Amino acid sequence: MAVEPLEYPPPVKPAEEFITGITDPEEERIEVGVAIVGGGPAGLACAIKLMQLLEDEPELTEKLGEVPVAVVEKGKTPGAHLLSGANMKPSAMRELFPDLDPSDWPVYQEVTKDAVYFLTSKLAAPLKPMPPNFRNHGNYVTSIAKLGRFLGEKAEEAGVYILSETAADKLLVEDRIVRGVRSGDKGRGKDGEELSNFEPGSDLVAKATVLAEGTLGHLTDAALEYFDLRGPDPQRWELGVKEVWEVEKPLDRVIHTLGWPLRWRPKYKEAGGSFIYPMGEDKVCIGLVVGLDTSDATFSTHDALQELKTHPFVKKILEGGKRVAWGAKTIPSGGYWSMPKRLSSPGMVITGDAAGMVNVPTLKGIHYAMHSGMYAAEAIVESLKQDSVNFESYERKVKGSLIEKDLWQSRNMRQPLSKGLIFGGVMGSLMVLTKGAFPGGHWKNEPDAEVPVEPEGAVRKYPKPDNKYIFDKLNSVFLSGNATRDDAPNHIRI
Amino acid sequence: MPGILVYALHDDEGNFNKNSLGALSEAAKLAGELGTEAAAVVVGDVSDDAAAELGKYGVSKVYRAKEAPEGLAQPIIDVMAKVMQDNDFDYALFGGGLLGFEIGAGLTARLNAGVTMEVTQVNVQDGKLVAERPILQDSQIADVGYVEVPGIIIGRLNAFDTNEGDGTAEVEDVQVELSPWSTKARMVTRGEQRGADVNIEDANILVGGGRGLGKAENFELAEQLAESMGGAVAATRAVVDAGWYPYAAQIGQTGKTVAPNLYLALGISGAIQHKVGMQNSENILAINKDQNAPIFEFSDLGVVGDLHKIVPKLTEAIKAKKGS
Repeated sequence: MAVEPLEYPPPVKPAEEFITGITDPEEERIEVGVAIVGGGPAGLACAIKLMQLLEDEPELTEKLGEVPVAVVEKGKTPGAHLLSGANMKPSAMRELFPDLDPSDWPVYQEVTKDAVYFLTSKLAAPLKPMPPNFRNHGNYVTSIAKLGRFLGEKAEEAGVYILSETAADKLLVEDRIVRGVRSGDKGRGKDGEELSNFEPGSDLVAKATVLAEGTLGHLTDAALEYFDLRGPDPQRWELGVKEVWEVEKPLDRVIHTLGWPLRWRPKYKEAGGSFIYPMGEDKVCIGLVVGLDTSDATFSTHDALQELKTHPFVKKILEGGKRVAWGAKTIPSGGYWSMPKRLSSPGMVITGDAAGMVNVPTLKGIHYAMHSGMYAAEAIVESLKQDSVNFESYERKVKGSLIEKDLWQSRNMRQPLSKGLIFGGVMGSLMVLTKGAFPGGHWKNEPDAEVPVEPEGAVRKYPKPDNKYIFDKLNSVFLSGNATRDDAPNHIRI
Repeated sequence: MPGILVYALHDDEGNFNKNSLGALSEAAKLAGELGTEAAAVVVGDVSDDAAAELGKYGVSKVYRAKEAPEGLAQPIIDVMAKVMQDNDFDYALFGGGLLGFEIGAGLTARLNAGVTMEVTQVNVQDGKLVAERPILQDSQIADVGYVEVPGIIIGRLNAFDTNEGDGTAEVEDVQVELSPWSTKARMVTRGEQRGADVNIEDANILVGGGRGLGKAENFELAEQLAESMGGAVAATRAVVDAGWYPYAAQIGQTGKTVAPNLYLALGISGAIQHKVGMQNSENILAINKDQNAPIFEFSDLGVVGDLHKIVPKLTEAIKAKKGS
């Protein structure tokens, strides 16, 4: 009865549908210097760095025209669609804002205490010594949405044009050079028909395009296919669900857990764990991250998080509190081998999560995204000064940086986790201890969609929602603020 | 004399709009607490009796502008601005409805007043009016006070309850000079907006159908029940998306908000997205075969059972009681 999801591929041909030439007549095109797709850490760091560099480049600034840097962001404001844990490494913030004191950063607190627990349904056993990849001393607990809003403000102060509520629908390509993006139509109905307030999108023509779409970026996917840039392994993803709680007792440490409620047997492939982070004195966030390659069709990450909350260890932290936010997002977890084989193409660069720059064992990606955005800015300025759209220097910068070093070290660490908790735990630990040297080689990432799934029937019983502590999915979705209009075109094609 | 002025909308047959009557009742109640009076303003050819009858809702005076054209906002703004300024009214209160929204907004601009819209409740605090309005997708309520008078309060649809007593109002005719722009448009005809059946926002009794009905055809059960009680039929998003019932009847976060006297929920789970659209109904009766359905947590009467068996019997019983 097992079915491979990939047996039913969605009816989409990315390179055909999302790549187009410039179609608007000249007067109707919007000309910008650099178009950045995505208002996240990568895109905004790139934008801010560009404006910083352009201060010393008056000639180039002139060449870039009235709108030197534009960020295309589909959310209402930068940060609206961002979701993460997170413990951010401060290196990128220091580099981008050397004159800003950490007390002015959009962070909650510096991490001074952290712990890892192994959970069974009743117990929480601290893992000592703590696995080194979970060590977060010196990092800062932050909300990536808060970071996004902060970077957005800083970008606008620096003169960046943020085009919010604008979707980048297609990539503009002519003669195999990327020339910008086409923004999405507004005012279409359920079947794609034009409604009374229909507004067609526009061609945003740019000298350089930065793809900073984040996880599951569709333009990046189309570009990788069209320009044949896919890396040796396919990309794979984890699904993270998260709740923010107002609590009575402040939490004094950053917590990660392994084990329950995820099942340890290899056949379930339930690889992942949870995080519980303090957010200042009065809030705590709790989340669960699980790979998308789980084999039980009835497994629900949302409900597994609710189950996690029934554990006495978690109850002590959350009891008496009130849930104030809920959200979910995917994380690209293929690591080094799943990154594109090239990070640039004439006219275009790929940064951040869109390029898969996530270190799974240490759960880091925000600072890599910002660093890559800054490298992209440097490369773009260097090349455009010489009237070139060849941004290969960006790739060299990334290769010589900590991004390459860290991702190479952890290149095989996610893969064994899908072979069950015991094997995965042992293998993963050996890799962490030997910094990736053992067992070496190239452990292949299997595509999530090729893992056969089958319903386990009534084996899994999730706790009954009371909508005060344990919530049902509809309630969570309501809390996320999702209120798309009923006649909007479908976002998913099956 | 400071007080509260209310606009009372009427149709071509002289029937006053339900939301206007609610606003009159509300103004009368508030005026009582403030120690002042509430008055109404009507436009067009309203008979002496009909105008005086508005006193039933607690207003002491009705200002009538016989010659002002009906159905358009600008002339009525002229009328209300004059009445408010001549008689020193502190507040103007409007019941929910598109014309009221337009007049209220225009009056605000004309008088340089403060305005609150989508108001769900009004309270008296320290001799002044404070309006309550929902914010952030109906998840919180904000209290809005007025720094100066005059203040304009525009209610949400069905926000105010109607209270009938006995009393008559003094009718005073006012002559108003209309601004030059107020005569540039002329109402040609006035008719029912949505065209279909009973407007669910005005209905006193609503029968809501959810996924528990099973299939589109079973909406007939809801329709027959509604008909027997003189009510209208509404639907949840799930069944509208499935094509069982039109979007005009959808109630909830992305549909309409209603507050009828009686809401009968048939096969509706009570998920929060639907709840926010009907939670202010006076009486909620739910029929659902799942005893754990969230709707039972906020209904006044819950029946755990098979609606396919219960509803036809209920319809019969109601018809029998009504003697038809």
